Amino acid sequence: MNIHWMKVFISAIFEVLWVIGLKHADNFWTWTGTFVAIAVSFYGLLMAGRKLPVGTVYAVFVGLGTAGTVIAEIIFFGEPFKVSKILLILLLLVGVIGLKLVTEDDEKERGAS
Amino acid sequence: MEWIALIFAGLFEMFGVAMMNQLNIERNWQSFVLLVIGFAGSFLLLSFALKTLPMGTAYAIWTGIGASGGAILGMLFYGESKDWKRVFFIAMVLSAAVGLKLVS
Repeated sequence: MNIHWMKVFISAIFEVLWVIGLKHADNFWTWTGTFVAIAVSFYGLLMAGRKLPVGTVYAVFVGLGTAGTVIAEIIFFGEPFKVSKILLILLLLVGVIGLKLVTEDDEKERGAS
Repeated sequence: MEWIALIFAGLFEMFGVAMMNQLNIERNWQSFVLLVIGFAGSFLLLSFALKTLPMGTAYAIWTGIGASGGAILGMLFYGESKDWKRVFFIAMVLSAAVGLKLVS
């Protein structure tokens, strides 16, 4: 797999980690870990965005991050699996990803960088 | 209360990203300070919202508001395309967010 997409994937993992941290951190180390995860995630995304189409990178990243967070919450934190919630989150994701992908198409057609 | 915090977290994020774009146009310290306020505010509010809301729901909505808000901001102030497809997807994001609030 392309190393740049690997960066997106790894950034998404750290994204899930900092969301967990933001909710569950309760001491100096867990909070520090949370901030480190935020930095790693952000930096990785920035680096990937330099080599890959920005909109697509963001769309994939958000998709992975959201899916990861939802799954992690159900598996590790006992969040109940509610179909309505999953479907709505899916709908929201389709919206964000669709928005990013159409915007990229538009910019390509208009000759924007 | 946490829902309002979540919405503002998304708006602060959107603002932070706008400042990031602004810094690409002109590198001044004012934009940088506003960027820091934007992102710091976003995380603080998100953290508050996460005390009561499930992570997946909060994260998805936070991201959605950031993306939609950014797109709307772009349409209003930066001459970005108001193509119906963009409006459609923004509407999709916002409806899903409202739906998530309703099923919680």
